Amino acid sequence: MPFRIGADVGGTFTDVVLLDDDSTKICATKVLTTPEQPDEAIVQGVVELLEAQELDGNALSHIIHGTTLFTNALIERKGAKTALITTKGFRDSIEIGREHRYDMYDLHMQKPKSLAPRYLRFELDERVLADGSVLRPLEGDDVHQLVGKLKQEGVEAVAVCLIHSYANDAHEKRVGTILAQALPDLAVSLSHEIVPEIREYDRTSTTLANVYVKPIAGRYLNRLQSQLGDTAGFDKSLFVMQSNGGLCEAADAAASPILCVESGPAAGGLAAAYYGKLLGHSDLLSFDMGGTTAKACVIVDSEPLVANDFEVDRQYQFKKGSGLPVKVPVIEMIEIGTGGGSIAEVDAMKRLNVGPHSAGAVPGPVAYGRGGDRPTVTDADLRLGYLDPEFFLGGTMRLDLERSREAIHDKIGAPLGLDEMAAAWGIHQIANENMASAARIHAIERGKDVRKFPIFAFGGAGPVHAFGVAQILRAPSIIYPLNAGVMSAIGFMTAPLSLQYSRSFPTLLDTLDIAGVNALLKEMEKQGREKLEKTIPAEDVGFRRFADIRYRKQGYEVRTVLPDGPLTDESAAVIRKNFEAAYREIYGHTMNAPIEIISWRVIAHGPNPVLNLPTQSEEAGATADSALKSRRAIYLPKHQEMREVPVYDRYQLPAGVRFKGPVIIEERESTAVINGDAEIRVDAFNNLIVDIAQE
Amino acid sequence: MDQITFDILWGRLIATVNEQAAGLIRSSFTSIVREAGDLSAGVFDKRGRMVAQAVTGTPGHINSMATGMIHFLERFPIETMRPGDVFITNDPWMTASQLNDITIMTPVFKGGEAIAFFANCCHALDIGGRGLSADSRSVYEEGLQIPVMKLHDAGRPVEAIFELLAANVRTPEEVLGDIHSQIVGNEIGVTQLLGFLDEFGLPDIEELSEEIIQRSEDAMRARIEALPDGTYRYALPIDGFGEPITLKAEIEINGSDLTVNFEAPPSVPMGINVTLNYTRAYTTYGIKCAISPDVPNNEGSFRPVAVTAPEGSLLNTSFPSAVGGRHLVGHFLPSAVMGALAEIVPDRVMAPGFDGLWDTHIAGTRRGTGETFSYTWFSAGGTGAMKTQDGWSATAYPSGIAGVPAEVIEFLAPIVVHRRELRTDSGGAGEFRGGLGQTMEIEVLSDEPFLFSGLYERTEKPAPGLAGGHDAPVGRLHTNNDVRLQPKISCLVPSTTIVTLEIPGGGGFGDPRARAKESILNDVRNGYVSNDMAREVYGCDADVE
Repeated sequence: MPFRIGADVGGTFTDVVLLDDDSTKICATKVLTTPEQPDEAIVQGVVELLEAQELDGNALSHIIHGTTLFTNALIERKGAKTALITTKGFRDSIEIGREHRYDMYDLHMQKPKSLAPRYLRFELDERVLADGSVLRPLEGDDVHQLVGKLKQEGVEAVAVCLIHSYANDAHEKRVGTILAQALPDLAVSLSHEIVPEIREYDRTSTTLANVYVKPIAGRYLNRLQSQLGDTAGFDKSLFVMQSNGGLCEAADAAASPILCVESGPAAGGLAAAYYGKLLGHSDLLSFDMGGTTAKACVIVDSEPLVANDFEVDRQYQFKKGSGLPVKVPVIEMIEIGTGGGSIAEVDAMKRLNVGPHSAGAVPGPVAYGRGGDRPTVTDADLRLGYLDPEFFLGGTMRLDLERSREAIHDKIGAPLGLDEMAAAWGIHQIANENMASAARIHAIERGKDVRKFPIFAFGGAGPVHAFGVAQILRAPSIIYPLNAGVMSAIGFMTAPLSLQYSRSFPTLLDTLDIAGVNALLKEMEKQGREKLEKTIPAEDVGFRRFADIRYRKQGYEVRTVLPDGPLTDESAAVIRKNFEAAYREIYGHTMNAPIEIISWRVIAHGPNPVLNLPTQSEEAGATADSALKSRRAIYLPKHQEMREVPVYDRYQLPAGVRFKGPVIIEERESTAVINGDAEIRVDAFNNLIVDIAQE
Repeated sequence: MDQITFDILWGRLIATVNEQAAGLIRSSFTSIVREAGDLSAGVFDKRGRMVAQAVTGTPGHINSMATGMIHFLERFPIETMRPGDVFITNDPWMTASQLNDITIMTPVFKGGEAIAFFANCCHALDIGGRGLSADSRSVYEEGLQIPVMKLHDAGRPVEAIFELLAANVRTPEEVLGDIHSQIVGNEIGVTQLLGFLDEFGLPDIEELSEEIIQRSEDAMRARIEALPDGTYRYALPIDGFGEPITLKAEIEINGSDLTVNFEAPPSVPMGINVTLNYTRAYTTYGIKCAISPDVPNNEGSFRPVAVTAPEGSLLNTSFPSAVGGRHLVGHFLPSAVMGALAEIVPDRVMAPGFDGLWDTHIAGTRRGTGETFSYTWFSAGGTGAMKTQDGWSATAYPSGIAGVPAEVIEFLAPIVVHRRELRTDSGGAGEFRGGLGQTMEIEVLSDEPFLFSGLYERTEKPAPGLAGGHDAPVGRLHTNNDVRLQPKISCLVPSTTIVTLEIPGGGGFGDPRARAKESILNDVRNGYVSNDMAREVYGCDADVE
């Protein structure tokens, strides 16, 4: 069956995309998100697309879903009433954390609040040591006693995180069994199942975050599946996008929702990688700018960079350390506090600052006329003519230019002695500078240099700012994909099924227990194979295997590729070579020290799905004339004044057309602003490609 | 230069030093540099004035750097420098007050002329001598001293210095590796700076630096000007070594000038003496936290603030005093400063907290194998409360380091951590409560006695409360078998001993009777405060189950 659907639930809109693999047709719809019952908007979108194509729900091979629902529940602290069960003496690990401040100077800094308050953290008098041996056995009676307390407090979810459970999971398993029998409705997560890795704070934090949203996730995914069946007649597999760029089945997502919290951004990274491959750019900087933040993702060799951990709910200016640590693999993004709603202000040094404070959706930019009185990036973009007050969000919202001008004058222009246009241009430029610097520093931290990488621009404000950011980064070209507004839903379509497993088994490389490791890897592969074979043919199941390795006693590990097949005596040398290459890539050198392997990972995956984008044949001598909507004055930095440029309708530009900047190209969700010299063309996939004149 | 271009250039300059720091951190061999960002990096103009600094780790490195560059220029005047030169020093009196802290400086050449400097300071894993301890009687015992010297001469490494370094440190690979990372970090800064000077057609950063420094100075002066003129005093007692020490701070505010005068006892023949630049570093850090957290660090923001301490005293020690453990005194200076500021800006200061990290070092043999081991870690107590918020529990301040998980301690050493929990009632009572300290219970899996050395403060002198807030209970150190341990003296301990550290909390702020009932009930419900304390000190009669 050639039809599949991707559905991405965002804060404002739910994007649903139908893909017909035979005719390579993409149909997309945007439905207002229904925050109380997010499944309603999805079902509505699915039905709408099926009806438009005169299809039956059974014509679909599967539906892929991504949602911010779990993340929002964590951020808004709207999850279940959650308790923690841990080893005697350790109920405060989650609160003690890293004993660290994430900001050097702010005495008013707030630390993230634990998902389980201290009075709901219970201890068991048991103890496993670092080598997995048992110092004090677990008494089943102690667990039974806790059952009463959990009931009494009305606890809905319990995280079980015992010390060194990654080395010996017997006690955690037993606690799990007793709880399942005594309290069958209780949501339980065992830490060794979620993150079987050393470091109690990170493991506890991840397990708590998982179980905190587990009841919500279970209820939601169940309802979605049955609604899709009842209303849309769909009874095939529902897959959920995970943060690492792979798919899992809805049942797996319900058990481990924490694996899916960054699904939207991850899909954006995947989509960027896919387009890059399509257009022959294996290295790419994906740039997604929205209302409150911008996200950048570095793609090297057609793969987005992956990290082993991230944070949810960063409390403070998106600062590292200010959120809840979550130790699961994720497509790595840098999130920058610069978006359309970012507020511009003059600071104590009389500098013009943009972000990270945001006017959000309410009151929003001054131009929204909803009570905002502090100028934002959107206000500046409007003043500069980059946005059309009558065509914002495809004309669904009118912007008030006069209000923006007044706020820019009063709050920025007057205090700095600038005319209001110069102030607006200043806001636009500083926003671009912030994003370019953050992306560059992020890349340097990872040993990459993103200057001269082509930029893949999407998100509501991405196309408005990409040209400026590209000039700062000296990017040779920018790709503005068609359907930028539904990029995540398209990214879903390129994701393979993927299940990940990890085991902590610390060992020195020199004394590697080959048989032991093989058994471990084989066990993980078997688990993955059994699960995947329920959905896909056995011969399609593949494995990628990694180990987290470091030099002895170092604090952090480097993800290293393991050789395929069973390990042999020769494998140690290959692992060393792979580790040294990976280490050099990140740190620029290697060391002469013993090598220590901490954890072992297996990713069981299905085949990469084929996604064929619709193409048009490029017409020789095509012109943009028929796409000309109007001409409007926009600010051109080269002339330091507003001048008229053509405004094109993106949807009317024929494939193969070439023209020159400066120019404005409008589509429903965004506006590509090219305010300087550039060669612009539309390729066969209807992507807008801008080649920037290099000085 | 127009306003917006200036703002962009200032932003670029800050990005440049952040890139310098990121490049250094990425390639560092030392985990404390990589994970805690324990380093500083900055760019200086022709006159050696610091213009921009990366946002990194600990105040001791960051703030002592601003005054360090001038010493390089005195020894090697700018006109004598050649492209490819790199300079080095670890002189405690010129830089971060400890031989382990090595500063590397690289001049930037454009058109054959030195136009600016990049410098960074990093903590070296080892520098020879006795190793990091307070036990030395003079700086000669503390390791290798490196005066201001040329490390690269016109692009050529001065091999003699590298050989000498390698021969004098216990971990030559890491130490030389980190020095290499420091050189690379500066090189990244140089490349980025030259790139943006070209892009904007600027000959150097002089015009930029003048304006940045002026604006930062103006901003800092405006903050000081807003404070009432006068003299404000505070005396902060700490345990000290052998006898208690009182750090007396006197803050004079006169228009837009702020002077901090310290009184302190004379230097002592052990490694806890502090050089004046380190005293200045932690003093200006405290001031910045209180009145100017948003003003960037550069020559201008330091200018309006003067710091003095009697020559030869503990806080302005003279060569060749031992200084290896200068943080054991220096970390208390921000609290001394804030105590004095409390009189005029009570809403912007923190009551004194535990302040000094509890530094535990254990060495011995592993049970069964007899293999020797040695392991050190730092633990944090509670910080002081503020006028509108409780202190942070188990959080390092003023140090910027991060702690180690118990599982990692146990994995790396034959140690069992039986308990690591917040200490009920350890936060000083107040309308806002001090942060709680933590209790750690430690056993060593060994068949033989092990060496236990702690550097623990506030076991005698509590962290004081402010504005009617109560002192935090002192820290305690005890064992299960009547082995008596001293907080600052190494001791050989029988292997069956379980050592308990009760790390202190921070002082309270305001009258505990004024604490919101809801907060008291929440504290009791969660066991941060006991029922008894709630009743007797907070005057709350409701018992919570």
